[in-house]
Amino acid sequence: MNTAWYCLLYGTLAVGAAGLYALLPGSAGGSRRGGAILLLASLAGLLALGARGLGWAGGRDGYFGALGVLAVVAAVRVITHRKPVYSALYFVVVVLAVAAMIVLAEGPFLAAALVIIYAGAILVTYLFVIMLAQSEAAQEYDVKAREPLAAVLIGFLLVGCVASLLTESPAPLVTGDARPAGRLSPDSPGLTDSDNVRQIGSPLMIRYVVALEVGGVLLLVAIVGGVWVAGRRVPEATAGSPAAPAGRIGREVAPF
Amino acid sequence: MSGLPGYVFVGAVLFGLGLVGFLSRRNLIVVFLSTEVMFQGVLLNAVGFGRHHGEPDGQVFGLFVLIVAAVEAALALGVVVLLFRRKGTLDAEAWKELRG
Repeated sequence: MNTAWYCLLYGTLAVGAAGLYALLPGSAGGSRRGGAILLLASLAGLLALGARGLGWAGGRDGYFGALGVLAVVAAVRVITHRKPVYSALYFVVVVLAVAAMIVLAEGPFLAAALVIIYAGAILVTYLFVIMLAQSEAAQEYDVKAREPLAAVLIGFLLVGCVASLLTESPAPLVTGDARPAGRLSPDSPGLTDSDNVRQIGSPLMIRYVVALEVGGVLLLVAIVGGVWVAGRRVPEATAGSPAAPAGRIGREVAPF
Repeated sequence: MSGLPGYVFVGAVLFGLGLVGFLSRRNLIVVFLSTEVMFQGVLLNAVGFGRHHGEPDGQVFGLFVLIVAAVEAALALGVVVLLFRRKGTLDAEAWKELRG
C-alpha cells in the first residue's frame, strides 16, 4: 500500500472522528445533523476502502459490511445519546449485530450465549439501575461531556494505528484465510454446523478446565461481593456536597 | 472483507468508540455501558482470530469474556448504586476528590 492509501484511510477516519466530536453532548459548536452526516460519509468511505483493499467476495461480505455499519452506528448512539435508557437500548442493537457477526464466523453457540447473557441478563441489570437512580429531568452531567476533543483524538489515534497496521504489507495479517490444520470447517455456513457445541465444549472441559473453574469461583465471589455491597446502609450525604435530593432507598427505606 | 482484517477493524472501531465514551461521558451508568461496548470489540477480535486459525479456542475465549463481563456488570452496578446513595447524583465529577 502506498502513501495515497494511508492518506485516504486517515482522512476517512478523521472525517468520522470530526462527526463523532460534533455528536458528543455539549461539545463546542457541534451541530448534531452535520455530525451525523460526517459520520455516515466516513462509514461509507470506510466500506469502500475495505472493499477495495481487502477484496469483496459477494454475499458474505455484504452481510458483514451491513452488520458492521449497524454495530458502529449503534455504538455511536450508545456513547452520544443524552438519555441513558436509550443508550442501554442502543447497546442491545450493538450486541445483536455482534452476535450476527459471530454467526458469520461459525460460532452459533457463542452468538446465542451472547444474546441470552448480554441482551437478556446484563442489560436488564442496567435497566434496573437506570430506573433506580436516574432522575426524570435531563441532568447537567448528561448534556455536557468532559473533554470530548481529547477523548476523540485518543480514539482516532488508536483506530488509525490498528487500521494502518492491518494494511501494512510485511505483516501477515491480511493474507487471506490461513487455516493451518483447522478444525472449523472452511465453508460451513455456520448455522447448520451442529458440531459447534462439541467443538467448544471439548477444549473447554479439557484444555481450559482450570480457567473454567476459576471463572466459576469468580462468579461466586461476585455474587457474595454484590450482596455485601448492595446491602450496606450508607451515611447521610455530607454537608456541602453537590447533592441533589438523594435517593430514598438505603436511607429511609431499607435496601432489603 | 469478512476475513480477519474486517473483524479486527470493526473490533478496533467498537473498542475506540467505547474508549471515547468511557473518557468523555460523565454519567456513571453510561461510563460502564461504554466498557461493555469495549467488551464487544474484544469479543469480535477473539472470534475473528479463532476463525482465522481454524480453531474453536477463540470462541472459548469469548465465553470467558462473557463471564468477566457478567462479573463486571454486577459489581460495577452495585458500586454505582452505592455511590448514588451517598451523593444523590450519578455525576462522575462529584467524586473528583478521589483524583488526589
